[in-house]
Amino acid sequence: MDFPRYHKAIVSDLLDGKFILATDAKFVELKNSADFYGKFFKETFDYYLDIKSDYAYLISEETMEMLSRDICIFIGLLCYELDKEGKNFLEEIQYAEFEYDYVDQLFDNTSYVDLILNNNQLKNSEARRQFFGTLNRRNIIDRSSSDKRFTFTPAYKVFMDFAKNFAKGKLNTTEAEVEPIIEE
Amino acid sequence: MRTEPRTILNFLTNYFDIIRDLFDVQSKDGLIKEEVLNNILAEHDHDILNKLIEYKFFKKIANDYEIRPVYFKFLEFILSEFKPLLPETIEKYEHSITSLFKKIKEGIGKDRNILLQRITDLNNEVRDFTEAVEKNTIRLISETKELKSNVDKIDYREKVRKASFWIDYYITPLNSILDVSNAHSITNRLLDISQYINVRRLNFEDELARQQFEKLYTFLVQTNDDLLRQSKILTNELLPLIERIRSESLILTGWIEFLKNPNRTKDVPFVPKSLRTYPYNDSMYFNAKEFVDQFMQSYEVYLEDPELTASDKWIFNKDYYMTKLTQELPVKNFFEWAGKTLRSEYKEIETEKFFSLSTLLFEDSIELEFDANADRQVIRTSEMNLRVPKIKIIRHGLS
Repeated sequence: MDFPRYHKAIVSDLLDGKFILATDAKFVELKNSADFYGKFFKETFDYYLDIKSDYAYLISEETMEMLSRDICIFIGLLCYELDKEGKNFLEEIQYAEFEYDYVDQLFDNTSYVDLILNNNQLKNSEARRQFFGTLNRRNIIDRSSSDKRFTFTPAYKVFMDFAKNFAKGKLNTTEAEVEPIIEE
Repeated sequence: MRTEPRTILNFLTNYFDIIRDLFDVQSKDGLIKEEVLNNILAEHDHDILNKLIEYKFFKKIANDYEIRPVYFKFLEFILSEFKPLLPETIEKYEHSITSLFKKIKEGIGKDRNILLQRITDLNNEVRDFTEAVEKNTIRLISETKELKSNVDKIDYREKVRKASFWIDYYITPLNSILDVSNAHSITNRLLDISQYINVRRLNFEDELARQQFEKLYTFLVQTNDDLLRQSKILTNELLPLIERIRSESLILTGWIEFLKNPNRTKDVPFVPKSLRTYPYNDSMYFNAKEFVDQFMQSYEVYLEDPELTASDKWIFNKDYYMTKLTQELPVKNFFEWAGKTLRSEYKEIETEKFFSLSTLLFEDSIELEFDANADRQVIRTSEMNLRVPKIKIIRHGLS
């Protein structure tokens, strides 16, 4: 049996929680073999493969996964603060380059201070820099070579869709409080 | 008496601030109430009511006033502030244009003057129609941009309400009026007309009518281009812009709800964590073989104790040292005594010997006294430094 080109890299990237972006040569192979990979990940790991027009990633029923919750807090807060600054946050997230210092300024002055201080990935500037490293590895942001700025990749749309669905009340909230467990 | 046009224009220029305020009130309320008019005039400290009436700027309706349409339209035009027309108002042009076109076709071979008049009227209707569309587009662009920049800082709910209002009542219906793919749109009707006129402008017998057809045709072609442009603005700019406001607002609402209690939210978008895998090493077979092989062959194993001679082995002579200790009683510091004794006999203190001597302390016949809080003393043996307490041997049990 012949496997698609970049098979190993595709599988390991996706299992590492990376988004494969349309700018990546692997994306074309993944898209061309969408049926195969869809079945492969479902049968092997019970994960769903979601291929959009400009990115692809894996989804699972796993609920104890905490990183995506922290990313949601990060992006949610950023949107909220950008809006407070009178900016069109969607446009900013889509096109703007964010200086670490600017993000620090927004997060250090947010009214959601308790939320940040209780989150090990976001609690201070140093923690956030490490967090940016994680986001960069997962292709959610694109960090500048100087490690002082970043832009969002199209993967940000996953989190915007989440917020939209959340607003529409499609998601269930559980009564059981989940203790924050920090991974990575 | 007819007023000199320049006088009117100068008047409008000189009192433009008042005129502007009056225009704003009428745009908003539809007419200008007497008390509102008085307030505006008092605010600017100019009583120009008589002139406004004399120059036919105002029309009196009972006690209130209305800016005459000709002035109102002029002000709308120079201020680029058009009151949007409801799409159904714009749609009325479809009827008038269609009916004029029908009459032109029916009366094509009949009275020439009527035909010429109908062509002119059609021309005017089409012009009014395109102007109405253009006005609406301008107004919609300005409304949308205002919503987007949100200078007034209206909240998202209001923003969405406004965005939905413009989409539902103006943009979508106007778009369908202009939509080329919609067979019943005015745009398509105008295309039909221009095709018909195109033929007539080339082969109609009467030269004057041919010229009128030619003029109408050129105008229609230009109109079509204009409408296409307006339609593109609506489709490409306004709809996405307003949709974006709508969706932006929804997203923000979602985030605010989520941030209220992110820990309680179960179904956040999943990004799989790195999996740990535990595959077997490819040299597993050899590793296992090596391990098992050592049990497969048995060798005879001999253990050999090193030869010892009696002289090599130091044996603790308890009686000897006990006697020595007893003779030297009372001893102020037992470990110091033990150290000195060993050093005098063997030149150095071997740990094993030192410990052996220490066992004397546990003899029943020995009575000790020591201060647990006192400083410890360091005794250096051959292998280590021992921190020991000062122990006093006060008397020998037998003495």
